[in-house]
Amino acid sequence: MKRYLQEFLKGIIKENPTFVLALGLCPTLAVSVTVINGIGMGLAATFVLLGSNVIISLIKNIIPDRIRIPCFIVVIATFVTINELVMKAYSPVLDRALGIYVPLIVVNCIVLGRAEAYAQKQSVLNSLFDGLGMGVGFTLALILISAIREFLGAGTILGHNLIKGFEPVFVLGMPSGALLLIGLLLGFFNVLKNRRA
Amino acid sequence: MDAAQFLTIFISAVFIYNVILSRFLGLCSFIAISKETRPALAMSLSVMFVTTMSSIITWLIYRFLLIPFNLTYLRTISFILVIATFVQFVEMVLRKISPPMYRFFGIYLPLITVNCAVLGVAVLNVDMFFVGSKAIAGSFYYSVFQGICVGLGYTLAMLLMSGIRERLDLCNVPKAVKEFPLAFIIASIMSLSFLGFNGFRF
Amino acid sequence: MEILIPVLTLGFLGVVFGVGLAIASKRLAVAVDPKLDKIHGLLPGSNCGACGGAGCFGFAESILSGKVKIDACRMASDQAKEKIAEVLGRQLIKGVKSVAVLHCNGGVKVKDRFLYQGIKDCVAANLVLGGQKECVWGCLGFDTCVKVCPFGALAMSKEGLAVVDFHKCKACNKCVQICPKKLFSLVPLAGKVYVACSSYDLGKDTRAACSVGCIACKLCEKACKFDAIHVIDNLAVIDYNKCTSCGECVKVCPMETIRIRE
Repeated sequence: MKRYLQEFLKGIIKENPTFVLALGLCPTLAVSVTVINGIGMGLAATFVLLGSNVIISLIKNIIPDRIRIPCFIVVIATFVTINELVMKAYSPVLDRALGIYVPLIVVNCIVLGRAEAYAQKQSVLNSLFDGLGMGVGFTLALILISAIREFLGAGTILGHNLIKGFEPVFVLGMPSGALLLIGLLLGFFNVLKNRRA
Repeated sequence: MDAAQFLTIFISAVFIYNVILSRFLGLCSFIAISKETRPALAMSLSVMFVTTMSSIITWLIYRFLLIPFNLTYLRTISFILVIATFVQFVEMVLRKISPPMYRFFGIYLPLITVNCAVLGVAVLNVDMFFVGSKAIAGSFYYSVFQGICVGLGYTLAMLLMSGIRERLDLCNVPKAVKEFPLAFIIASIMSLSFLGFNGFRF
Repeated sequence: MEILIPVLTLGFLGVVFGVGLAIASKRLAVAVDPKLDKIHGLLPGSNCGACGGAGCFGFAESILSGKVKIDACRMASDQAKEKIAEVLGRQLIKGVKSVAVLHCNGGVKVKDRFLYQGIKDCVAANLVLGGQKECVWGCLGFDTCVKVCPFGALAMSKEGLAVVDFHKCKACNKCVQICPKKLFSLVPLAGKVYVACSSYDLGKDTRAACSVGCIACKLCEKACKFDAIHVIDNLAVIDYNKCTSCGECVKVCPMETIRIRE
């Protein structure tokens, strides 16, 4: 049990996909304009990660090595399609807000990267907890970034105005603000890493 | 078919909604490969080729296979299959007809399969040029042209970034922001300057 | 029926692509010479480009097609080169060993014409009016050449000059190519004497800029018994085909421009 807990926690801090591994930055920056969008994308990616890790780990012995990447992609694409359809049916507002980034989870480096580096070598339960950990880590990173962007960029959190008369920094809501923020955050985490070393 | 629409596609794909600096598609490869100009150029040209060809093939499959059978929800799977197959095919052809070119591209060619820009432009074409289940007039030409322009926008951003990063290599940079963080900060300044293209009017 | 159609459609797509790729991989198969892999395996794999080939793989191809000598590789050990010659059934022809040498002894001895505040790179500094030194031919003192050397054979001394470690230098030519003042040249290992100046200015101008520059006085030319050194265009030049490293020119040079390499 402890082993599984370790796998889970690893994805959150030590091997956080966004800040440590620097994977899957495309959707991270694009959807983190508001916290709701961030949480939505994070949960969607977690679902896909979980599903694809488990299935790939189950069928890893049947897939021939030469065509493993297309096979992984098909499995991941299936889960992404399931996710797309569920989102369109039950939360069309979120689906419209996330736009083209919902189907783009299929080429999210995190999902394919974990499948290639982990799920095809490890047991089902290990892959499950790893997928869960990575997904939660990704979601937390998204929440952090979108909280900063939403609060400083639009003056709200989850849609509620917190401080009266707060003049927001509009550029943070725009693409260049997102890039600036991720650059500064990565630099900040680098400082922490260097200090620990 | 509208001539002005082509101009709009060009301006928006290359400048206003630049695929990397505005839509964040292809960011992973952008940050990783834009350190030197030669690999950056190689990657951009191959991406441009793949986006154009995949725009064509995915449009045909969407229009003649998925719509008639009411299977538009299968677009993600079929599009990514098309792209993966096509990139594999290009790899094989390149290896046969020009081994030096094949080795010049190296690992970047298989990496284009998971480049968000390629799948992104295919999905964008479908979203922009199909209303409901019908293709708007001239949608095939718009889609192909958008594929080309997205490639051009990608090339522009990559070349600008690699030029800047090559020079920055020679300066004293604080250890914490070396490599990735600095690249992102530069990209943010570039994105800010591209914001100035908003409001273009003819 | 509703489940059958998508399954069939995707299955159809999958079969078409799979078969297409299978046919393509057969028709586009590339025949690989097994010797190529063996040679490539024997090479050091550093891709330094010193041989002039496109990395180690390009060099392996050139060896196989007979276009280059095996000895062109600077990094491979002699044993590796012997083994490569065996694979090809050829004899190993040894080239002459050379090292790089800096033809300048100015450095901090030469004053600055202006204060240069720019990128600390020789190529960049050279773009600004030919560099910040009084002598436009001399070493600018930034570490461009040090950074480009793949063997760590170069270092900047306190005198503002590049110093070559002759044990580590493999004559890969990279410093020769990158120096914007063209101060490096490859000399044979046996050639211990060299002219530490590259200035084509008239003697009095050289003297004004640098205290150890060549003033083209021709004393070295008169002292040489082997006709190996000549003053051409106000600069002494050694012909290493004739030079025996006897050191006579070193003794007579009034500016101490001609020096003996350690």
